[in-house]
Amino acid sequence: MRSEGNDSQKGNGRIRKLLILLVAIVLFAYATEVTQVDLREPLEPKRQENLISLLRELARPDLLSYANETLSTNISVRMPCPEEVKASQVQNEGRTVLLIPNCATTTQDVLSLQGEGFPPNASGLVRWYPAESETTRRLAEFKADANGTFRVDFTMPDIRETADPQRIELQELTARHITGLSDTTLLALDKIVETVLMALMASTIGTILAVPISFMAARNLMTDIKLPLAAIMGSILLLPVGGWLGWWGTQQLVALAALISGSAFVGLGAAVVLAALAVVSVRVNPALSPAETKVAPVAITGLWLGTAVLSLLTLATLAQVGLAAGAWLQAHLGVFAFVGNFIFVLSDLLTLLLPALVGLVGILVGMSLGGRYGQEAVIRLPERAARLLTLGVTMGGTAVFVIGVCLSLFWVNLLGIREYVPETVGGQLQILILPALVVGGLAAAVSLLRPPKYPYPIGIATYTFTRSVLNITRSIEPLMMGFVFVVWVGLGPFAGILALTLHSVADLGKLFSEQVENIDDGPREAVNATGANAVQSVVYAVVPQVTPHYIAYIFYRWDINVRMSTIIGFVGGGGIGFVLQRYLNQLQYSRASVLVIAIAVVVTILDNVSSRIRTRIT
Amino acid sequence: MLKIQNLSKVYEDGTRALTDVSFTVPEGEFVAVIGLSGSGKSTLLRCINRLIEPSSGDIWWDDVHLSHVTGEELRRARRRIGMIFQHFNLVDRSTVLTNVLSGRLGYVNPIASILGRFPEEDVQRAYASLQRVGIRDKAQNRADELSGGQRQRVGIARALMQEPGLVLADEPVASLDPALAHSIMRHLQQINREDGITVLCSLHFLDLVQQYSTRAIALNQGKLVFDGAPHEIDDAKFVEIYGREAERIG
Ligand SMILES: Nc1ncnc2c1ncn2[C@@H]1O[C@H](COP(=O)(O)OP(=O)(O)OP(=O)(O)O)[C@@H](O)[C@H]1O
Ligand SMILES: [Mg+2]
Repeated sequence: MRSEGNDSQKGNGRIRKLLILLVAIVLFAYATEVTQVDLREPLEPKRQENLISLLRELARPDLLSYANETLSTNISVRMPCPEEVKASQVQNEGRTVLLIPNCATTTQDVLSLQGEGFPPNASGLVRWYPAESETTRRLAEFKADANGTFRVDFTMPDIRETADPQRIELQELTARHITGLSDTTLLALDKIVETVLMALMASTIGTILAVPISFMAARNLMTDIKLPLAAIMGSILLLPVGGWLGWWGTQQLVALAALISGSAFVGLGAAVVLAALAVVSVRVNPALSPAETKVAPVAITGLWLGTAVLSLLTLATLAQVGLAAGAWLQAHLGVFAFVGNFIFVLSDLLTLLLPALVGLVGILVGMSLGGRYGQEAVIRLPERAARLLTLGVTMGGTAVFVIGVCLSLFWVNLLGIREYVPETVGGQLQILILPALVVGGLAAAVSLLRPPKYPYPIGIATYTFTRSVLNITRSIEPLMMGFVFVVWVGLGPFAGILALTLHSVADLGKLFSEQVENIDDGPREAVNATGANAVQSVVYAVVPQVTPHYIAYIFYRWDINVRMSTIIGFVGGGGIGFVLQRYLNQLQYSRASVLVIAIAVVVTILDNVSSRIRTRIT
Repeated sequence: MLKIQNLSKVYEDGTRALTDVSFTVPEGEFVAVIGLSGSGKSTLLRCINRLIEPSSGDIWWDDVHLSHVTGEELRRARRRIGMIFQHFNLVDRSTVLTNVLSGRLGYVNPIASILGRFPEEDVQRAYASLQRVGIRDKAQNRADELSGGQRQRVGIARALMQEPGLVLADEPVASLDPALAHSIMRHLQQINREDGITVLCSLHFLDLVQQYSTRAIALNQGKLVFDGAPHEIDDAKFVEIYGREAERIG
């Protein structure tokens, strides 16, 4: 019984192996066909010649610039030929040069230049100096043999005929000095610095964005987050409100700041006063935590709001002052003008980004308030009222959600949907309101299936969503992102930075979140048990555990970004790749070679540094 | 007064860790929680400060309905309940001082604390707590540079920072040698006696129970099988708590 079973098993095993082998053979046969493996073509002499010349060019990187010392030997030539065709001979420092014949009539005529008595292996150029012209023509190169003799034949160049004799010059190279780095090398240095800085910017911005995202993409932090429906829907309801208030309000503040800082000095004064006020109110605020003081919550909220507005106004005013000061410094600092430029760009960025940033903060605040009030209400209200409230916010929240999703879909024009909807956002809103409310009503009806306090696993939903977005973004080629950004912001390193940043966020977000998932949960449990809130618990129990890993990844990512920015240059994203692509297209391989060397050197150094830092930290 | 009424916990995988547990702890008592491994001691302690959500039943602490508070209220309740863990649960890469200060997080301004700033009086309080458990000189060391006994003392100092009315200690001495175990237990006894903090402490050794606790409760497969003075645990009770095969040592 037993051995029989074994035998048939063995037989099965053999058949399976045979099958695997067959499949493998078929697969590789097909792969050979598809990938056009062809061994004959590379062996053709012409191909080999091309390859060799390419490799030789690459092996001769244009690193240094040289100055040549030359010895000129001149010999005259006539165009057209006189009646009598002759040869000429010239002597110069023991060298004898013979031109046969010493004239030409048509461009088909072949002239022969022969040399004797040159130093062994001497080499140089043959040039033609047409009469009555500034430009010269390069005719040929010559190279003497071991005996110091050579012969070069060339055809008459296409040059105007003159009555006077014209001149052929032999420029023999007698000595060569290195005068410094070649232009290519200088350009390579310049571009490699640009590349490294591009990578630095992308890694830095990418890290800043990836850190908070990584917490949302960590399963262990998100599983515990469960909220009643009223809280979730309350967040969604207040999301657009907070976002719009923050964005619009800050725009007003920026406008106000531009008004009060009409002149840089007035602005500076205003900024100082505002800053002082802001500092004072920040100091007052922490003393007022609603739990401990008798101050009315409204007053505290008012104070917080006042402080926020004051601080924003200060920032906006400072940005205005920075714009003026930066421009002034740029004009007056000379060599250090870039400092002025930096201040200007920063201030400009601040002015432009402030409304968006505050809008983002507004979104967060709105969501957290909506969530908190929703939750508190459900807990405090009697069952019936809680139910009603849940119904209401579910309807509203779902409607807002539906409208938001639809507007985004219209905007990206998914499957050409724009053809069927109104052009303006207002018009789109009009057609959306009714369906959104209907969907909201349906959702509200479904919400009745669960009691109002039922904890919905919103944390896991957020986690799944964040993870999916990260994975999809990661899988998009940075080259493609680079292309899109070049279309958006134009050729140059800025497009490259944006593309690399986006890819870095996705990549670091994923890597970081895996580190968060690997932490020891004990400390987090302990910190939570002290009554810390979610953010405090992350800062005190999670951050210390993941920091070394994060730093290691940041360097690793910088290293990757340097490599990637060389590629992104190919689609116009700036950096060294941009130049490399140009040289390759122009067949200037010895120049391209310099760039390849520069990349290799920098990548090796960075690789080394980053692996060293990584081993030191972890 | 801590009042636990018909507390049950069923884990998501169906494990019944606690079944209908009820008992009351007057303020200032030192209660030992005993029982075999897996009997539900940790689950019970974690239900009290809601690190684990109870499935049903009520927990009252004075007038706070511990089993039902959420959000801000839960955090306000938690900050007055210290917890001490078998594996200390310190943040290894942070300093001892930071670990101790983190016991204060429920009280301080959240934004300031996120920026790493604590009021001066809290820093002083942290030093005082460390002084009390005898490791003030280690304040600036990283937590992972300390020995096991020292780390548990940091855990106690952290709990003290909360100005707790109640301390939950989950096998605080199970990873320590007997000499250290006594020193840690003495610290717990001290905070119980001097500060009047109620202590709920799960323990594995009966001699520790009898030496330090004023009362013992015993769990067996999630059910309360004993509630009384430690010296009342005679051989019959012992068999009931630990099963027939267990043998009394110590
Ligand atoms: N997260 C969980 N999910 C499912 N079952 C769990 C979980 N945690 C504990 N249990 C189970 O619940 C029961 C009680 O566990 P608990 O940790 O409370 O026991 P304990 O008395 O503290 O044990 P020990 O003395 O070993 O610490 C055990 O059967 C355990 O396997
Ligand atoms: Mg346990």
